[in-house]
Amino acid sequence: MSRTLVRPVLVAALLALLLICGRFAVAGAASLEDALTGTLAPSAAPSLLGPITSAGRVGWECKPERSAASGGWHEAELPRGPFAP
Amino acid sequence: MRLLLAVTIIWGLVAARAAAQTYTPQRPLPTTTSVPALRALATQREIEERFRIGIDAESRGDWTSAVAEFKRILALNPPEPKGSTARYDLAIAYANLTRYDDAARELRAAIALDPAFLAAMANLVSVDLSRGDLGEARQIADRYIAMDPDSARALYSRGIVALQAGDAVTAREDFGKLLRNNPSYAVAHYDLALAEERLGRYVSAERELRTALSLAPAYARARFALGVVLLREGEHDAARNEFQRATVDAAGDPALQNIAASARDSIPVP
Repeated sequence: MSRTLVRPVLVAALLALLLICGRFAVAGAASLEDALTGTLAPSAAPSLLGPITSAGRVGWECKPERSAASGGWHEAELPRGPFAP
Repeated sequence: MRLLLAVTIIWGLVAARAAAQTYTPQRPLPTTTSVPALRALATQREIEERFRIGIDAESRGDWTSAVAEFKRILALNPPEPKGSTARYDLAIAYANLTRYDDAARELRAAIALDPAFLAAMANLVSVDLSRGDLGEARQIADRYIAMDPDSARALYSRGIVALQAGDAVTAREDFGKLLRNNPSYAVAHYDLALAEERLGRYVSAERELRTALSLAPAYARARFALGVVLLREGEHDAARNEFQRATVDAAGDPALQNIAASARDSIPVP
């Protein structure tokens, strides 16, 4: 092979190698993102509100009913999160 | 002498009356001798006692005994509000025995008896999530929010149902509204971030996750989610750092720790 041909062949090979590596890198990133798609799980469902006495739900005197209607997350007995001590 | 005797007798009568007043019975004796009326009073008394025993059983985690008490109450056909309340309490016992279908049935019956029973709706949504019935969970959550649009539990419950069902738009609305009244609730920031991420709104998702982490720095699930969002934004180095921190913070959650470590190791080091 003549010297004039060696250089373009080497350059082409190098370019091809770069293209292949680049494609693998992009494919790798995409597959990682795909793999992580199902891993973001919503938080837990709220735990059950407690029992009610024979007096029945009597508005604000009934703690579970009060929790069910409260606008504040503490009183609503919502999950504190997995980070809570 | 006669005068002294009279004073002593009067004093004795007054003292006896005072003692009787001290021991007034809590439940006055029935003033009827009618057999059906006495039977109704006995039934009413049995219902009251079984409620007390059933709730005591639930408070010590004896769910089987609680089921027996509340089933007996229902067999006595109590009037409202005792009927819906007994079904509500029975559902709690069933749910703790992981008999979710039975729990759902009792809660549905309680709501049918008392259509404004918010606590029963709240528990039915949670039970439906446990039994994987997202359709009924959503239907009840919609009704719950319609009855009390500002209830934190209603908003949170429907938001979770919506996220599980793939309705990110509703989840975004519900968690956004919940946070307007509860801006320091880290869990809601995390769930809002999930809704934003699913809608492709990565900048908003990142902001919510950073807020959650500012409120709860050891929130490993939020840390991991931030890594995923940064990856989607093309911030590979920052994502790797977050995955690394998530592996440390998720010490109590081996599954999350493994996923975070795998994600971290899948990103090439520059």
